[in-house]
Amino acid sequence: MAMLLNDIAWDEQIVPAVPDPAWEAEARRRRGMSAVGDRLVAPLPWLREFCLYATTFQATAMPVRLINFGAMVTSQENACRYCYGVQRAFLKILGYSEDFIDKLEREMHLAELDDAERAFLRFCRSLARSRPRPARAERDALVAAGYSPLAVNEMALMIALFCFYNRIGVLTACPPEKGIEGAAGGVLGRVLRLVSPLLRRVAASRQRGVATADDDAATLAQSPFGRILVPLAGLPGASHFRRALEGAFASPALSREVKGLMFAVVARTLDCSHCEAESRALLDGFGIGADEFETIVATLDAPRLGPGEASLLSWVRDTVHYQTGPVQAHTRAVLAQLPPQAGLEAIGIASLANGTVRLAMLLE
Amino acid sequence: MRLVDWLPAALCALAAVAAAAWWMRRREGRLWRLLAEGNRKLEDLQRQFERFVPADIVDRLSGDAAAWAPERRRVTMLFADLRGFTALCDRLDPAVAVDILNGYFAHMDAAIARHHGHVNELVGDGLLALFGAFEANAWQERDAVLAALDMRAALARYNESLAKRSLPALKFGVGIHCGEVVAGVLGAGVLSKFGVTGDPINVASRIEGLTRDFAVDLLVSEDVRIRLDARFRVREMPPAAVKGKARPIVTFHVEGVADAAPVA
Repeated sequence: MAMLLNDIAWDEQIVPAVPDPAWEAEARRRRGMSAVGDRLVAPLPWLREFCLYATTFQATAMPVRLINFGAMVTSQENACRYCYGVQRAFLKILGYSEDFIDKLEREMHLAELDDAERAFLRFCRSLARSRPRPARAERDALVAAGYSPLAVNEMALMIALFCFYNRIGVLTACPPEKGIEGAAGGVLGRVLRLVSPLLRRVAASRQRGVATADDDAATLAQSPFGRILVPLAGLPGASHFRRALEGAFASPALSREVKGLMFAVVARTLDCSHCEAESRALLDGFGIGADEFETIVATLDAPRLGPGEASLLSWVRDTVHYQTGPVQAHTRAVLAQLPPQAGLEAIGIASLANGTVRLAMLLE
Repeated sequence: MRLVDWLPAALCALAAVAAAAWWMRRREGRLWRLLAEGNRKLEDLQRQFERFVPADIVDRLSGDAAAWAPERRRVTMLFADLRGFTALCDRLDPAVAVDILNGYFAHMDAAIARHHGHVNELVGDGLLALFGAFEANAWQERDAVLAALDMRAALARYNESLAKRSLPALKFGVGIHCGEVVAGVLGAGVLSKFGVTGDPINVASRIEGLTRDFAVDLLVSEDVRIRLDARFRVREMPPAAVKGKARPIVTFHVEGVADAAPVA
């Protein structure tokens, strides 16, 4: 069973906080508040932008009420102390009782939810866990429960976003937002409860202000791993995901070869033929042919990368299924071999690969 | 009829309804508390169970039992056995012998878990670890060999701590083989457990037995060796006849892995 909040082992912060007043002001403008996590990812434009999107995700096809439930159980399943604590606090601020939240965490079948909502939460846990990754039947079950196919695609997107952001939290060992967690049950929490519908509308309008036009399938397919994004055509999240993938592969902090290989390792760990095929095609364009690809992925070693980057291949495998203590210790050891910006990018790529490969279940 | 005439009766009825509601609410509260207590106990039991079986396996076993229909899958098996521990037991106080053995298992379990393996069985001073049994693992042979090398290092550290307590050093033999086995819940009733069965299990056990004959601590089969890359230093051993096999089998002693390469 998934860990409860206070059972999660949590290391000291792994990457430094980098104050960036302009970025923090932008986060406040778009989210209504800045967060500890904003300062950890601030040095990388593609990463900070996608993190901000993940934490301000707005649904257009799936029921809005489910986002907060899904965010909390996904964060719990991924054992992200940081996100789980924040999402739990948000549920309290939104007026859900401690008893209800407790049931969501422990015994979902006892919570006051309808069958379709329970099916969604089971899907959150199943996709986040991915042992094995959910098959098409689970998606079909959600459609049978009454959700539209586009809503189900958006649910998978939401879970993939949280699988991404939860790993940012875990791999940076982002310090918990004790202020928000503490305030949620107090007077401030009650005040926030009163104004939360207004804040939500403000955040949504500001998010719409930064969203690009919805990408069509052809546009999405052109980005790295674009084929994985095609089922998201018509959803605003698709263009955000596309820009994150393009930004990640264009960023110079790590070589594009190691990034493609990290995606390949995550794909093989989760037994995803779609993402592995995308990795092969991408890496072929970077000069890594089929034979070399197979050798590198089979041995998790690539002499052409050098020891610092090569160590990321074994490490990224450990980011797929993990216990927080060991994976944070491993992350600290691996990052010690890399310049700070490269280390942060490695965390971003590992997180993005985990989100992307889970999202690829939409192609099954 | 005037209001005052039926008011007492109405008040009595109202009081009865209120009492019934109060009683039912109290009863419901007590049932919820019992349910919550039952849930807590089940959670505790599940957490205890998770000490022995991976957490997601526990979840799946406690959910849909049909999800555990037996299936064939490729698995890598690691057998480890302590050398001369039975004789040692005869000389040591039983509590000390058990303490030494439990310390040994704790070190081995940690080394195996670090490399994506699960200890499936403890038999006396021996253990069976599986790689790729519970979930697809494309690197299972490599993981098993790295786990064995990690076990070798862990045993050396453990022996240092035993020496400080003036206790004898331990020696082990490890055999590793891979192949297709049947995986599922084996046994019946309270004696059932998740496990694997098939000829590769026997071969792995025989290979572990060969470590005595060749006086080495770690042997792997040809099927495992071909999946190791050049960083692993291996030495071919002479073909050896083993029980249940018509032809002698070839094994390889794994001496180590290149230090410079980041393999863990």
